[in-house]
Amino acid sequence: MMMETKIKEYIKLVKKGDQAAFEEIVLFYQSKVFAICFRMIGNRHEAEDIAQEAFIRAYVNIHSFDNKRKFSTWLYRIATNLTIDRIRKKKPDFYLDAQVQGTEGLDLYAQIPADQALPEEEVESIEIQSYIQQEIMNLPAKYRSVIALRFVDELSLIEISEILEIPVGTVKTRIHRGREALRKRLRHV
Amino acid sequence: MIMKCDKQITDLMHEYLDGHITKKDEQTLRSHLQTCPACQEHFHELKRAISLVKANSDLRPSSSFTSQVMNNLPKERKRIGVQR
Repeated sequence: MMMETKIKEYIKLVKKGDQAAFEEIVLFYQSKVFAICFRMIGNRHEAEDIAQEAFIRAYVNIHSFDNKRKFSTWLYRIATNLTIDRIRKKKPDFYLDAQVQGTEGLDLYAQIPADQALPEEEVESIEIQSYIQQEIMNLPAKYRSVIALRFVDELSLIEISEILEIPVGTVKTRIHRGREALRKRLRHV
Repeated sequence: MIMKCDKQITDLMHEYLDGHITKKDEQTLRSHLQTCPACQEHFHELKRAISLVKANSDLRPSSSFTSQVMNNLPKERKRIGVQR
């Protein structure tokens, strides 16, 4: 809450032409915006590119932001829209590629017993992280956006519905199906 | 038995995980889980999948992220007069 108030103060300054105030906003939201883009697009380089573009668009359009609203909702909408556009521009065989890559991971991780406790270092290991991301990439893009928003920033169903501009009922269905799909895919990790 | 509890109970599991469950439904879920190992397993797997996805420790942008954004912003308005 404190932070949200502070951000609003920075936005007022940016609207007055103070570019340096925008830096505070970027510093505060960069990890969240990047993580949401990454969960949706599955590639670091592209995620970083899109996330930067999102901040630049936010800056350029800052006058259209209504200070009575929540800034993150507005910012995440810009970021998810840009990511969805980028996904649409990709070749249709994009999903097939992701699946082929995913199967290598399956062979590797099928050897880990399901009931084995997961040490923190292992969860944090890059291999497991990339395996999890491969499995997320196997979900349709519309599920990935909901999953990204729900799990990166623990947003409520209502906030997600505002960001993606889809009904709450649709958000709910996609989260439930997305969770079930991930449950099946990550069972053996 | 498993077929019957599957849909109803998994809906409650998801409502619980969404943070949108009534006290009554939560009680129903809780008492069912105590008696049904299959649903217990299902619920455990759901929670585990979530914690795996949330363990996004390496999801950080590069250290130059902010400076790159700042360098690519259009020039400040007050400078527009002297720009050209």
